[in-house]
Amino acid sequence: MKISTKGRYGLEAIVDLAIHLSEGHVNLKSISERCGMSEAYILQIFLMLRRAGIVESIRGSQGGYTLSRAPSEITVGHVLTALEGPLAPVACVAEKAEHACERYGNCPTRGFWESIMLALNDVADSITIEDLVDCYKERVFQSNEIDFYI
Amino acid sequence: MKFSTKGRYGLRAMVDLAVHAKGEHVALCSIAQRQGISTNYLEQVFSVLRKSGLVKSVKGAQGGYILSEAPENIKVGRILRALEGPLSVIDENAENSGKSKSSIQHCIQICVWDKMNEFLNELADSLTLEDLVDNYCKMNGIEDVMYYI
Repeated sequence: MKISTKGRYGLEAIVDLAIHLSEGHVNLKSISERCGMSEAYILQIFLMLRRAGIVESIRGSQGGYTLSRAPSEITVGHVLTALEGPLAPVACVAEKAEHACERYGNCPTRGFWESIMLALNDVADSITIEDLVDCYKERVFQSNEIDFYI
Repeated sequence: MKFSTKGRYGLRAMVDLAVHAKGEHVALCSIAQRQGISTNYLEQVFSVLRKSGLVKSVKGAQGGYILSEAPENIKVGRILRALEGPLSVIDENAENSGKSKSSIQHCIQICVWDKMNEFLNELADSLTLEDLVDNYCKMNGIEDVMYYI
């Protein structure tokens, strides 16, 4: 069970965008350079995030992307779900799809998969983009301190 | 984000084996029939389970598979790790290949992925094959299963 590159890169790009919000609209080229991802791939990701109402775009020479809401109001769960669909270890528990499997009603393993889905969603919904930005700032601050003493 | 068929089918097949063993070896084709999984595929899955020491096989007309240990001693996590590798929400190989992590990647790792992995492993190790067998029996109206191992 793996979160795809889309989810991993998307989360990283959103945190990068949040870090650089004070500079106005952020263009994808600068995100792609800082994060080492192709611009075409980031564009694909940002189109999905825009559709999910997480980012907004402005055209023109000063254009680029910004977050639709404050970083404290966007959770990791919003971003991952927009890019990956439901965070479910198996398809049937996400869709509550009795029709997807004839064994749905008496499957001995379904309860276990459901408990994993709940736990993963709890984690994702409890962490905001602001938390990740704070972690980043803390880390950069600490590494600057170390540089200073060396 | 999904577990592979190997993990999903393998877990179900282990429950089936535990329910139907009753001290005798169970032929893969009977598990395949009950669970609607192809026998060929089950052979692959059981060869992995056997190498991990979770099941034992006997060849011949009365042959088949049996659990190596009592179901209460087999954690679900152990079955899934045998079939899927380490239980992690991200591909550790892809993530660690070559270049070192950026600060953002590092923060996402410790705040998100590590936390998810912790819950994933905890949940998988808090449940045994016996718990799943109990579920199965309740759902299918079977009173109780006797284990002969």
